[in-house]
Amino acid sequence: MLADTAKAMQRVCFDSEPSEADLELLGSRERWLVYRSLVRTRLVGVIEAALPRTKAAIGHESLGRIIDEWLSTGGPRTRYFRNVPNELANFAIPMWRDTAEPWIADLARYEITSWSVRHAPPNRISDAAFSFEVRPVVATAVAVLRLDHRVNETPTPEDGYERDPVILCIHRNQEHRASHLVLNPLAADLLEAWQRGDETVSESVHRVAATHDTQISPAFIEKLSTLITTFIHRGILLGGHAPPS
Amino acid sequence: MRRRGFSFESRVMDREVTGIGIGLRYDLAVELLERRPETVSWVEIHPENYVDRGGRYQEMLDLARRDWPVITHGLSTCLGAVEPFDAGYLAQLGDFLRELEIPWHSEHLCLGQAGDRFFHDLLPLPFTEEAATIASQRLAEVRDAIGAPLALENVSYYAPQGTNGLAEVDFVVEVLERADAKLLLDVNNIYVNSRNFDFDPKAYIDKIPRERVVQIHVAGHHVRDDGLRIDTHGQPVPDDVYDLLSYTLQKVGAVPVLLERDNNIPPLDELLSEVDTLWSIYRSATEVTRAG
Ligand SMILES: [Fe+2]
Repeated sequence: MLADTAKAMQRVCFDSEPSEADLELLGSRERWLVYRSLVRTRLVGVIEAALPRTKAAIGHESLGRIIDEWLSTGGPRTRYFRNVPNELANFAIPMWRDTAEPWIADLARYEITSWSVRHAPPNRISDAAFSFEVRPVVATAVAVLRLDHRVNETPTPEDGYERDPVILCIHRNQEHRASHLVLNPLAADLLEAWQRGDETVSESVHRVAATHDTQISPAFIEKLSTLITTFIHRGILLGGHAPPS
Repeated sequence: MRRRGFSFESRVMDREVTGIGIGLRYDLAVELLERRPETVSWVEIHPENYVDRGGRYQEMLDLARRDWPVITHGLSTCLGAVEPFDAGYLAQLGDFLRELEIPWHSEHLCLGQAGDRFFHDLLPLPFTEEAATIASQRLAEVRDAIGAPLALENVSYYAPQGTNGLAEVDFVVEVLERADAKLLLDVNNIYVNSRNFDFDPKAYIDKIPRERVVQIHVAGHHVRDDGLRIDTHGQPVPDDVYDLLSYTLQKVGAVPVLLERDNNIPPLDELLSEVDTLWSIYRSATEVTRAG
């Protein structure tokens, strides 16, 4: 039956060790090992393209071992080749958090977020200009990332990164690459509120300022308008939707 | 060498897919889209690389569509799996293809997934009655969902699946006829299989119902030290594949031909010289057909 053959192919390609029984069922041991190698090489290639600094930090062999372990759970669930690294990262980051140097998981999060932002869907259309009365529309290719280590600062130091928390806004720039800017906690909360888009700008500013015990003073307004200008200039903030009347 | 003038305008306006096309790939897109060579008549894309994706891929497609008809070639709705299709994805694919106004879409006659897991590679189907039934039903299902003609593509394979090498073409024809489908004939795949499984590639071509062929693929492949040929799309098209293309075109007539190059991508001029070779084969073979 084709279903049994397909399952045997899956095990031969993704199990840590292909079983002799499966290889025999499929018919040609040597050629099915060729398939195993072709399938795995492609997947490893895209993962290494997405996580080059993580690979350099933990080493080729260590990354290879965790890819093997992830593949042995059955192979990628995504039909999109570009999302293969995301599945590996979802599997590996919790493990790196438990077992590797404390900054490795942050580096992998930073790299996979940058990868996701580069390949994010096209932007939604906004139907109004940005103002305090609209519900803001943020570009799809934007992510707020809270890190305990400043892994965005390169090159990676010889002894790794010291703990030094930072919040980044990672976004797709005009050249379609991932770029980042450092946010303070209030700006990060605001941007996340704007990504949700369920409050007007005015509502979100009041709520987030209150959460941070911050007065809406002239100095605050000046900083806020600089932030908004930066977001608009970088294509992070696209405009807004008029709230339902 | 920007494309301007009457021939360019008319080509874009009628969106006709004839002559020689090239696969639009990330690594060659900058030069291709900047130079827009006259000799490239159309481009082919994999929809999975563009559906739901902005950024550079969206820009590449927008730029390509300005000047070229676009044909699509699927990767993830392979015709051989046993699981039902993801209806959400089929609907999304249908929307994407309608927007592109493609003349046909194509998909591989292979196995691309097991359960909910994707191989991201083209695994071979056994040449059985069961596989032919499944593949022809799935083909009809995708064709209905996208509302456009769907061509199946013959694949290269490395592990023996049938009694002899030519069992493959009987399997391909069986699926074509059951589904009343079009064929994207990959000449390099036939050549690779003929060398790996020791059969006459022209005998394979002779068995193809020519009226079903809507498109042809050519590519180069890798020859391993042990002689096994792997369909890498990473080398120039070898002379034997050009010869087989010429033989095929004389049989099927002026069918559009795509140069596939996915890996190890050289400077554009090297690809364009392969495109020139393809044009001369295309012209002379199809002249012979017309005269005959
Ligand atoms: Fe092909």
